[in-house]
Amino acid sequence: MIVSRLILKNWRNFRNVDVNLRERQFLVGPNASGKSNLLDVFRFLRDIAKPEGGGLQKAVKTRGGVSKIRSLAARQDPEIIVEIYLANSPDEEPIWHYAIGLKQETRGYRQPILSFERVSQGKKKLLDRPDSEDKEDPERLKQTFLEQINTNAQFRDIARYLESVTYLHLVPQLLRHADTLQGRQLEDDPFGQGFLDRVAKSQPRTQKSRLAKIEKALKIAVPQLKQLQFERDESGRPHLAALYSHWRPNAGWQREDQFSDGTLRLLALLWSLLERDSLLLLEEPELSLNAGIVEQLAPLIYRMQRQRRRQVLISTHSKDLLRDHGIDGREVLLLTPDSEGTMVEVATKVKDARALLDAGLSIADAVLPRTRPGNVEQLGLFE
Amino acid sequence: MNTIYLMLAVEDVLSEMVARKLVEQSQKNYWVTQCLRKGGFGYLKSKINAFNKAASGVPFFVLTDQDSINECPPDKIANWLNQPRNPNLIFRIAVMEVESWVMADRKAFTKFLSIPLNRVPQDTDSIPDPKEFLISLARKSRSSRLRADLVPPHGATSKQGPDYNNQLTRFVMGDWDVHAARNNSKSLNRAFMRLEEFKPVTPE
Repeated sequence: MIVSRLILKNWRNFRNVDVNLRERQFLVGPNASGKSNLLDVFRFLRDIAKPEGGGLQKAVKTRGGVSKIRSLAARQDPEIIVEIYLANSPDEEPIWHYAIGLKQETRGYRQPILSFERVSQGKKKLLDRPDSEDKEDPERLKQTFLEQINTNAQFRDIARYLESVTYLHLVPQLLRHADTLQGRQLEDDPFGQGFLDRVAKSQPRTQKSRLAKIEKALKIAVPQLKQLQFERDESGRPHLAALYSHWRPNAGWQREDQFSDGTLRLLALLWSLLERDSLLLLEEPELSLNAGIVEQLAPLIYRMQRQRRRQVLISTHSKDLLRDHGIDGREVLLLTPDSEGTMVEVATKVKDARALLDAGLSIADAVLPRTRPGNVEQLGLFE
Repeated sequence: MNTIYLMLAVEDVLSEMVARKLVEQSQKNYWVTQCLRKGGFGYLKSKINAFNKAASGVPFFVLTDQDSINECPPDKIANWLNQPRNPNLIFRIAVMEVESWVMADRKAFTKFLSIPLNRVPQDTDSIPDPKEFLISLARKSRSSRLRADLVPPHGATSKQGPDYNNQLTRFVMGDWDVHAARNNSKSLNRAFMRLEEFKPVTPE
């Protein structure tokens, strides 16, 4: 299943968004245009749906409350709306529709409350809140039905799908110093501190076959690398070890704390692509990677998707990544900030970008130049 | 036989693989030290005078596509260069695009796509838009994987499928044979002959 359409109102820096999404979707936009905020919608839905420590209240609280989530441009109408459609493929009719509206209590603790929650399966409406019971007991509107096992039975597929959304923005320093930073690991580990635990928790057979695949790819990217394996140290902590060819025999085994940033990021990227089959959010996968590797990321993601139909949303600034002529304009979302928040459009809907794409230009040439700050040259005045 | 060190400068990854294969299948003992490419001919054109100068130190093999049917290859190099061509600069043009060289090994290529041999003309240099032609052939392929990888999906703005480069470079590295292909493409034949005859000139 994939998220085939996303509708937002007043979410962070987006006033109104209504876009179709494909299996592989690139997000491009200037700095601070809200690429991460857009990806955060899916993490927000995951935080609501996840069975352990999830729920609406928690999801809003970890984001600093309704006022932090709501678009600053929302004045007359302060309601926040998040709406998704799930389908088997981008060109098929959606199977599921899930929508919530959010407001803040006008008095008391000013807690977040639902203004509505709706679920449909195909054309059939399964849920339309607030219902009569909600009206009698407004406290009920502090929780979604999605987060509750005894109320989501009819649409548990949606909850299952959302709870396994994965976000990857590996920060090599955090992974390397995971030992010293212990106890400070962020929930759901967006920055990869617990990446090794994830590797450790996988079934031994899957773990072995995934690492074998990754080893094959790493050997091409890092020619000195000869072998990759999983191991535990004396205290049982998981580690990855790689054998590097070295002029001193037997001196070549190194653990992840000695891997280069690029090796670590590539490793985590490949692992995530092989893992699970729900939505994967990748934040700037090009970081610390050589241009020659970055150039291959778009087709690599496509090939991984062929095996497991995992939808991947990728935020990027990389010309090398977007130069691939096999990227369809519909696979690109362009974020353009203006005074009323950021606009999100599929690149093919942007008139002059479309003309350039039709003329055979790559995304790097047709769309990316639009994300360059207008007066970036003035940075030259900074001293 | 003496090793001839050679720099490549090409438009895209497919041209690179083709150039490498040419060098590899040549009788001469070439060693490619580096391949320069930055997507498209603009880079080659902007750097050609630098390559020409550098060629006095290390020989260069520059491979580019022909821009239009009326363009005459000797004119192209003359237009690009602002100095006389260094004898160590091999400048070759694939007519019309490198895809015509790829298809020129008709037997291997039609087998790769599993389509009948006669779908590819005897003279692939005569195909006006080789890439478009190649994709139209891929559309007829019996392999659903090749169709999905090479042909842009319905309604897409992209002019090639999502794994076009990878599939074709794998074909070129594998079954594609220069000796079979040069019979069906005059521009390929000339480029290969040039590599076979080439003797680097060392500065005094």
